[in-house]
Amino acid sequence: MENDLEIFFSLINNTLEYWWVIIPATILGIVVGAIPGFSAANTIIVLLPLTLSMGPEAGMIFMVAIYTSSRLGAGIPAVLVNIPGTAGAAATPLDGYPMSKRGEGQKALSISFTSSVLGGLLTTILALILIPWLSQVAYYLHSVEMIVIMLFGISLIATISSQDTLKGLIAGLFGLMIGYIGADVVYEIPRGTFGFLELYDKVPLVPALVGLFAISEAFVVIDRKMVTIQSQEKNIVHSWQQTFNGIKITLIRWKHVIWTSILGLIIGVIPGAGAAIASFVAYQQSKNFSKTPELYGTGHPEGLIAPESSNNGVTSGTLIPLLIIGVPGGATAAIMAVVLEYHGVQFGPDIFETNPMLGYGPFVAMGITYIILGFLIMPLTRYFSNVLLIPTKYIAPLIIVFTLVGSFVPRAYVFDIYVAIVFGIIGYIARKTGYHVAAILIGVILGPMLENFFLRALRISQGDLTTLFSSSLGNTLWILLIISLFVPSLKKYFSKQK
Amino acid sequence: MDVFMSLKSKNSRQQDSKNVLPDLIIPTLALIFTIYYLTTITEAPWIAQASAIVVGSILILLIVIFFAKTFFMVRKEKEVVSFTNLNLDKTTTIKRLILLILTLCFTVFLEILGFTLSAIIFLFFAIILLSSLKNWKNALIISLSCSLMGYFIFIYIFNTQFPRGVFENFIERIQDGK
Repeated sequence: MENDLEIFFSLINNTLEYWWVIIPATILGIVVGAIPGFSAANTIIVLLPLTLSMGPEAGMIFMVAIYTSSRLGAGIPAVLVNIPGTAGAAATPLDGYPMSKRGEGQKALSISFTSSVLGGLLTTILALILIPWLSQVAYYLHSVEMIVIMLFGISLIATISSQDTLKGLIAGLFGLMIGYIGADVVYEIPRGTFGFLELYDKVPLVPALVGLFAISEAFVVIDRKMVTIQSQEKNIVHSWQQTFNGIKITLIRWKHVIWTSILGLIIGVIPGAGAAIASFVAYQQSKNFSKTPELYGTGHPEGLIAPESSNNGVTSGTLIPLLIIGVPGGATAAIMAVVLEYHGVQFGPDIFETNPMLGYGPFVAMGITYIILGFLIMPLTRYFSNVLLIPTKYIAPLIIVFTLVGSFVPRAYVFDIYVAIVFGIIGYIARKTGYHVAAILIGVILGPMLENFFLRALRISQGDLTTLFSSSLGNTLWILLIISLFVPSLKKYFSKQK
Repeated sequence: MDVFMSLKSKNSRQQDSKNVLPDLIIPTLALIFTIYYLTTITEAPWIAQASAIVVGSILILLIVIFFAKTFFMVRKEKEVVSFTNLNLDKTTTIKRLILLILTLCFTVFLEILGFTLSAIIFLFFAIILLSSLKNWKNALIISLSCSLMGYFIFIYIFNTQFPRGVFENFIERIQDGK
């Protein structure tokens, strides 16, 4: 116990040494989070050259701080102008905006920030406590179980985040096939490389990421004139009293903050079920258990606390499967995986022993960011009334320039920029036709890992495919996978019957 | 009158139904790629082929199901064979295509001119294009300031591996006092 505390305090000390990374990233995260359509994922991609040039610890802390603070910043336009900054804040305006319309914008922001900070901090501490036990589970997972878990991850992303399960599955498996490109690790036979030597060492992940997320986003965004609109100043009544009232209202409802944030943490661990799902589930459950459900949607504080504390609970949840078994819980975690892989970081339970700064460090950094946010953002509630106008005619070309060059940085091949453009075209078509780009990217990331586990399992069983059904844990996971695939269709069928 | 009514109902059905062709692009690409991939592993031992064969076969099966589902929806007139899902209105499509060409040119120039100069040129023309050939002064100011800021932060301060060219080498020579 004493030893654990010693490690914990040394982690805090080490993380605090990166204050020069945490503070600017926190401020940047709030700003980008407040710009609708410009997510934490996009910001991290634009700043990839910077992140890749830092060491893995500094890079991870930088990404975590941006991710955490942007989650909080996304509540600002959701409350003030009824436009969620990110999908995770989609349930926030339901009760936040009616409060703003009543002239209680500052109070609503204060409630949103307090519940976010408390919810985020609580789940971060919970994650830190639970991780040593959770990571032990990974030791029981062998090649066969890992194969099923990876396919399970892909299928969950497909069924949960996509509107159409079939499209989601096609996107995920297409990603896996792309991830298989390159020379075989054992027999060194080039596969699916189109004759390009540059693809022998598998598809470069940074260009794939840049193309699927940033380039496609730049081409989609030019349909719109502005990335965001101006806030309605008339809705804000400036008074410090409102800020204090907001804090008080949230603290009185501490039980509400606790259970909704834990709900967010649990949902965050499930690959694909991101903050958007967590915030709606928390909102709905909060309404179901409320003594005054009729007040929801009219500017009820509990209706604002539930989505905000749960979507901040997701933040630490998404990192858990990434660090323990290498399966990213969502898009931002997938981007973090790409950056850490560039630095040669190996995920798995051993990371907590061999490199605690990368294992536990992200959670410590997250906790510190929440504490900084608590002090930084409250005084600013007064001044958040003006959201900047950003015309897309400027933002789209800037995204293209900086992200494309970012895809050049890891290997210094111009070829990688062309790879990013190709993925950009695929990503653009995917976005426009309802195929999830995150499912494709997670497929590309998991492809080589899945192949390695396949190779290992088949070499042990001397090429016998039935080995995939040889373990009881694996078989249980197979059954769960099949059930998860049919749940959406069954739900649809039963709702039609009603 | 009947003909008019049937035409009207057909039109309204078409408006209610979904356009199907764009949805088929990703599965078609996936199908072509999977078949191509499988042809490249024929020489490999079974152990090295297995994962691609398993995943590829499931993918092909799903694509076939998707095509069949789409075919039946078209037959039921719930979906229409058209490309309009992609928002292909003429002006935006032309702008998007020119932006893609500019992006390709940027990549070519990057090798010759380096980051700063190619970024200035790309940003200037892209902003002009997206602002419908207006505001060339704003385009010039933004392209110059953002590119130079990018140079300053990423190359000068952090010494990141950005493509270097005439401008970057010139500044480096001044710094070295040559």
